Formats: sequence, C-alpha cells, structure tokens
Amino acid sequence: MANPLLQVKNLKTYFRTEAGVAKAVDGVDFEVMPGEVLGIVGESGSGKSVTSLSIMQLIPNPPGEIVDGNIIFEGTDLLAAYRQKDYDVIRKIRGNKISMIFQEPMTSLNPVFTIGDQVAESLVHHKGLNPKEARDHAVEMLELVGIPSARERINEYPHQFSGGMRQRVMIAMALSCDPSLLIADEPTTALDVTIQAQILELMLEVKAKTSNAAILLITHDMAVIAETCHRVVVMYCGRIQEIADVKTIFHSPQHPYTQGLLASLPKPGQKVRRLSTIEGIVPSLFNLPKGCSFCTRCNQKLDKCETVPPEMVETSPGHFVRCHLAKPMKSA
Amino acid sequence: MYSYFIRRFLLMIPTFIGITFLCFTVTRFVPGGPVEQAVLRYQQAMAMSGEGGGGTSGSDMEQGQISEEMMESLKAIYGFDKPFYEAYAIWLWRVLHFDLGTSDTYSRPVWDLIKEKFPISIIFGLSGFTLSYMICIPLGVWKAVKHGSGFDTGSSIMVFIAYSIPGWTAGVLLLMLLGGHAYLDIVPSGGKDSGFINETSKLAMFLQEGAQVSDIPETIRKEFPKLGDNQTINASHPAFKHVPAEKRFKLKTGNHSDLSFIGRTLDTMWHMILPVFCYVLGMFASSTVLMKNSLMENLGQDYVRTAFAKGLSERVVIFKHALRNSLIPIATGLGHMLSIILAGSYLIEKVFNINGFGLLGYDSLIARDYPVTLGILVIGSMLKLFGNIVSDFLYCLIDPRIRFS
Ligand SMILES: Nc1ncnc2c1ncn2[C@@H]1O[C@H](COP(=O)(O)OP(=O)(O)O)[C@@H](O)[C@H]1O
Ligand SMILES: [Mg+2]
Repeated sequence: MANPLLQVKNLKTYFRTEAGVAKAVDGVDFEVMPGEVLGIVGESGSGKSVTSLSIMQLIPNPPGEIVDGNIIFEGTDLLAAYRQKDYDVIRKIRGNKISMIFQEPMTSLNPVFTIGDQVAESLVHHKGLNPKEARDHAVEMLELVGIPSARERINEYPHQFSGGMRQRVMIAMALSCDPSLLIADEPTTALDVTIQAQILELMLEVKAKTSNAAILLITHDMAVIAETCHRVVVMYCGRIQEIADVKTIFHSPQHPYTQGLLASLPKPGQKVRRLSTIEGIVPSLFNLPKGCSFCTRCNQKLDKCETVPPEMVETSPGHFVRCHLAKPMKSA
Repeated sequence: MYSYFIRRFLLMIPTFIGITFLCFTVTRFVPGGPVEQAVLRYQQAMAMSGEGGGGTSGSDMEQGQISEEMMESLKAIYGFDKPFYEAYAIWLWRVLHFDLGTSDTYSRPVWDLIKEKFPISIIFGLSGFTLSYMICIPLGVWKAVKHGSGFDTGSSIMVFIAYSIPGWTAGVLLLMLLGGHAYLDIVPSGGKDSGFINETSKLAMFLQEGAQVSDIPETIRKEFPKLGDNQTINASHPAFKHVPAEKRFKLKTGNHSDLSFIGRTLDTMWHMILPVFCYVLGMFASSTVLMKNSLMENLGQDYVRTAFAKGLSERVVIFKHALRNSLIPIATGLGHMLSIILAGSYLIEKVFNINGFGLLGYDSLIARDYPVTLGILVIGSMLKLFGNIVSDFLYCLIDPRIRFS
C-alpha cells in the first residue's frame, strides 16, 4: 500500500470562550491517501470545519488553539513546526501543496482586486512566475473551470460574477499551483441546488485533468458523499464515529449515528412522505455526556453508553467504529 | 455612472437654494440686525452730543427718536426695505453673478475679503488635516494589528483623552501654559506670523539686509512717494538694488516680511505649531478609531482567510488585502476635508487670533455683518456640497463594486 499523503493523529483543537473551553475537535485520527477523495460528514457543529482549518493552521487564535496532535503531510510534521512557531513551513505549503475552498463564495474573494490578480497571486508567490506568465496561466485555469471568455473576464471584479462562477474561480485558484491535497469545506452548500452538482463534477474533472490532487471533501450531505467520495469519515461532537469506504458506509453502517444520517436520505424510487431525521438536538460542547457523546439521541442505547466512552474498534479491514455495539473483527 | 454624477450635480441646486433661503430668512427675523444696530449707534451718538451740548431733558427724548423717513432710508441701505422673499431673490441673483455684496464693517467687497482670508485657513487646516492623517492612519493600523496588546491599550487611553478635549479648549490651555502668559514663553501668543521682531528675538538672525530710505538715489525715490525719510526698506524692495553697497546694512529689528525665506518659513511654522496641534487633536480620536475599526472589521472577513490560505505572509495579507479595503471609509472622508477644515476653524482661529476664514465668519456673526455671514455661508455650503460629490467620486475610484453598478 502506498504511503498516506496526510496523517492526522490525535488532533485536538479547543476554543477558549467566556462560557468555557469548547473542545471543537477532540482527538481526531485519519489518513488521506494520494489521489483519493475522502469525505468528512456530520451535522453542523460537529467540528468538520475546525478539523480542516487546523490542517491549514487557519484557526483564529484567540479564541482557538491547536492543543495537541500531529499532522504529517508528505513526511513533514506540520504541527511540530507550528509548536516551534516556525510558520514558514505551513506558509510554503498553503496554496501550494495544500489548498482550500470555502463555503462562502460570495465573500471569499477580495472585492477590490480583479479575478485575474487573485488567481495569478499564488502563482507569482509560489511558482515565481512573472506577472505575464502568471496571468496566462490564470486564464488557462479559468478556462479549465468553465468560465466563458476567460481572457476578458479576468479583468472583472468578484461582484460581477455569480455565486457559482465565484466558486469556479476559487477552484481555479486552489488548483492553479498543482497541489497534492485540496480541502473543500462545504463547497456547494451556499449555492443553488441546480448548480451544486455541476460544481462537484467540475471539481473531480479538474482534479483528474491537473495533478490528481487528493480531495478532502467536507459536507453535511450524505448524497454528496455518495456521488463523489471513495472513503468517508463520520464526525460527531468533535470526534470521529465511523470510518469506512463509501460502499461499506452505505451498505452496512455500524454506528447508530451513521444509520441515522442515512435514514434521512431520500431513496431512489421510494415515494417519500416525510424524511426521518435524527431525534433530539446536538448537545452543547460545554456539556457533553460522560460516555458516548451520541447517547442522548441514540435509539440503541445501552446502560454503559452514558458512563463509559466507547473506544474505536476495527470491525472489518479499514472499517472503524466508535460504538459499544460494534464487534471487533477476529484477529487472524 | 455618469448619469449618477449629473444627477448629483443637479441636486446641488435645490439643496443650495434651501440652505441659503433658510439662513437668509433667519437673518431677516432675528432681533439685533444691522438696522437696529444702526439705530442704536445713532441714538448713542445723539445722546453723547446731547450731553455735550447740555440740552434739556425734554429735547433728549425727541433727539433719540428716529423719524419715519430716516428709518426707511436705513432699511434701504441694509436692503431691509423689501419683503424677505423679494430681497432673497435679489440677493440670489447677485450671487449668481459672483456678487456677494459689500461688507458693512469693512466697506469692502465680501468676495475680496473671502479671497484674502481663505488661503490662510487652508494652510492651517490642510497642515492639520494632513498631519492628523499621517499620524492616525499608521496608528490605527498598528492598533488593529496589535489589537489587545499593551500598545493598543496605552494608545486607547490617549485616544480617550483626545476625544474628551475639544481642539480649541486645548488651545486655550496650551496658550496659557506655553504662550508667555503664565509659565513658559516658547510659542507665540497668536497670529499667523510675527508683527515685530526685536533684537533679542531668535528670529533676528534671519533678518535680511536693508537700507535707509534717505540713502535711495533721488531719481529712484520719486517712484516711491509713500516712503518716508526715517523708514527702512528691506532687500526685497524694488528700490533696494539702487542703494549703493556701502550704505546697505543688516536689519536689527523688523517684521515678518523683513525675514529671509528660511526665516519666514520658520516664523510661520513657529506660529503654526499650536493651532495645527489643536486641529490634529480635534481629528485624532475619530480618525484613529475609524481606521482601527475599519481594519479590524476587514481582518475578520472571509477574503482575508482566503489570502492566508494562499500562503501569503501576514504582512502581505494585512497591507495588501485588508488595508486596501479598510481605507475606503477613510479615503471618502477626504472629500469632506475642506468643509471639515472650515467647520473646525471658527473657534481655533478665534483662540489663536488667526486672521482667516473662520475668524472672518465669527466676527461677522458677532457684528451682524450679514453680507459677510451669507457670503461665507455660500462658500461653505458650496464646498460641502462639492465635497460630498468628491467623496462619492473617490468611493467609485477605490471600490469597484460601486464603479460598475
Ligand atoms: N471562532 C470560534 N469561536 C468559538 N468557537 C468556535 C469557533 N469556531 C468553531 N467553534 C466551535 O467549534 C464547533 C465546531 O464548529 P465547526 O467545525 O465550524 O462545525 P462544522 O462541522 O459545522 O463545520 C462549533 O460548534 C463551535 O462551538
Ligand atoms: Mg463548517
């Protein structure tokens, strides 16, 4: 098996607020293999964005802080450099080896610079291209993401683009330096339903045409996962609850939370009267249950769930579940 | 966009008429106007001459009385003989022909007075404005970057103090302390330059060469009939070059105009220190806080996160991406600069006795010299209205969102 591109080990990112310490990400472990599309799914507030921003070291500090863990990217421990306050390491990687697309296309571009300037900026910065070369490359990238008459539109400003077009620009910008990892944090959530699928498809298409970057796709939508991902990480309350490849997740989900997420999906051919949702509300991060954080909403709860936090167990090769009901696979 | 600016220009007309009509009407109806003042002066003069002549008390009353005829002619002199709307129309018509009337107190065309005083205010105000931007913008930026640090807190205390003291109040205080009244004598006590420089003054070393008028050759002297024998002329005087070299000498005393160029500059700067400080003080708090808040707000924006995500250094993110956006509200303030300078100058010019536009307006109000008051209103409101348009224009220049919609 190839070496993982990115290893996240025991990542803990806390926010110190007036109400107390919010353990937004509390011991997260996963790996991203080169070229794969890994989904992170979970309800709003489960710590998906904080996980991705921690990888990029973009957590606003204060109030946030990465308090523990290792993030090993292409053999380098990014957090070791971070702890030594050596920010050059991550600066050389951001926008170059790892780039990121955000949820809000309307506000993620600088309103006072042209699209061309903003796409060309990272090329000049990381690849040392001269402005002319960078501009030409920017035009190519914009054509690649399907912006019509890119050579003219490069001189326009973000407000002259629609939301979908801006997200295309963000994709062009993110992939312009041929990164090996692209983090997309809910890239389609803010868009019209009609163009959501287009943008996802485009991302995969451009990925295949360029350096075949691995993609870490964050979403709260299981349908998006089904269409795009190879493997899935299910997050809840700052912890990973289940990891498996996409087929396994959809065919034999082990964690009651994953099962709940899947039950809320409309099934093809099925006439839906009312989509089932997971009962109850996400507990406050300041007031998490002592045991399993999902026990307040779980429909298969055991007595010990309330007091004993479950460990991660491997139920079949590559399938990990954090649940007292899960049976570890028999070691050969 | 052009149509927008044309519309803005056209809108200036009713606004201008509204402002001036209102003020004109007020001058008509407030008590103590020029006619009443003239009557008062007349009565005082009569009373004095009455006393001097030792007239009877009975005739005093009659002498103090003003005949109907006289009243009418007084009203005609000050233009109060017509109903106010008619008088306003006449006034407006003249203004449209650049005729602002004649000052009652100076007996000179108002337009000339304003032209004379305006540059003085502009020099003081502009220096204050420029200096305060030069201090407040970097300070605000630095406070935003170092938000929450000791530097930020310390400078915030300064901002609070500056905010609570109006510029002219500080002027009064500093003049008392430093202007030679009570404690120290290191700044002039007012005015825009030195009226008299004596031998002990430090400025005396910058005095030019001069010559006695009597030493000017007779033929040349005829061209300057105003010069008296006992007077001296300085090197800038056109007759000076005709004075034989051995008769020239270095002046020991003199006034501002007898100084060399460097001396004049130093003299002006010396007079400007306190007033300009007061201008800066007046703008310091609001400009600094505006700059800081504007940058702070932009630093929290998503596009700043995008810029960081590109791998740009903190310096580039702050000074290229965030600063450009946060300067938008500051730059649009430039359009209001002139009117802010003038508005701020009334009291400061009064305190420092600077003979500028503000002091002219202040004095005209006290003396009920309405032609001057209204003339200043015309210029002031025109500047304000143009300033608004300039602000909008600057906004368009900096912010593409406005430019293209
Ligand atoms: N800037 C912040 N300040 C305080 N708490 C934060 C901040 N950002 C995130 N959090 C905490 O982290 C939790 C997880 O947030 P996030 O990762 O954005 O969730 P999501 O899975 O929806 O992306 C939030 O519920 C919140 O308590
Ligand atoms: Mg999120």
